[in-house]
Amino acid sequence: MKKLLRRDKLKIYGDLLAVLYDEAKNGKIVITRVMLRSNMPFGRLKLYISELNGLGLIEDETSLQLTEKGKEYLKEYKKVLNFIKRMGIKYR
Amino acid sequence: MKNGGSMSEITRLIAEPASAVICLFLVWFMIKPYRLTGDTRFLGLPLGFGFMAISHIIAATVAISKEVSWFMLLFRTFSFVFIATTYFFSEMSSKKTQYLWNISISALIVVLIGLSLVVVVAPQSVWENDAGAQIYSRIFMEIFLCYIIVHSIRNHIEKPDPTTIWIPFGFIFLALSQYSFLLFYIDNSFAAFWGAIVFRFVGLIVFLVVAYQTFYRSKECE
Repeated sequence: MKKLLRRDKLKIYGDLLAVLYDEAKNGKIVITRVMLRSNMPFGRLKLYISELNGLGLIEDETSLQLTEKGKEYLKEYKKVLNFIKRMGIKYR
Repeated sequence: MKNGGSMSEITRLIAEPASAVICLFLVWFMIKPYRLTGDTRFLGLPLGFGFMAISHIIAATVAISKEVSWFMLLFRTFSFVFIATTYFFSEMSSKKTQYLWNISISALIVVLIGLSLVVVVAPQSVWENDAGAQIYSRIFMEIFLCYIIVHSIRNHIEKPDPTTIWIPFGFIFLALSQYSFLLFYIDNSFAAFWGAIVFRFVGLIVFLVVAYQTFYRSKECE
């Protein structure tokens, strides 16, 4: 069975913010859906949400809406990921 | 030779500074992955293009002192080594490569400093063999460029995407440039020299356009 590689923390933050941003388009963010889409256990998800809140990237741990800082970070993160992809470099 | 002299002057005064400026712009783009991710594997990109810029600046001053051409070769060779190292370590997970990467980068910098000291401290061992050094260095650069090209094309083939084909072309043009310089140093071909300059600019501009489009023009990231 192929071993899943562990993600870097900053990549986890970026992926999680992308999921939260996407879910926000549906209106209310449901934590269960976020958990399934981000592929992490509930306990660890809560930990990362708390960290994102501490960094000012989400408004609070209940609504899970991205702040302007969070949206800017996500935009820059996607650009950098796109650039890495275009450079032909794998980023795990 | 009058033609060769004017050729060299034009290159020194225009092409080398222009190449250095483009490389410095590329350093600004290439450092973004490291700044955002904190992953030291991406340091090879700004280091590589930074050393490339330094080599072009040195090449622009070669008329003042011929000895500096050795430093130009060293910095240019190591620029491709650093870039290739990023591609090499990108295959591995970050935690595993952190230690190896730090050792590799430190070793490369030590080797670069060591070779630079040899040029300064024992110049008699190197001054007489300028043409040979140019040829062997270009061959060495070609090997690393070929690795980078194969790596980037392979990634494109694994996940075909029209946006990922341009960077391999950029490296192909840089490889063609080095190959043309190789031909120039072997048989003094005027066409090879100018071809090398043109290929180099095309390659660097490909990188610049891709970087600019990604960070300033891309709508898919909105």
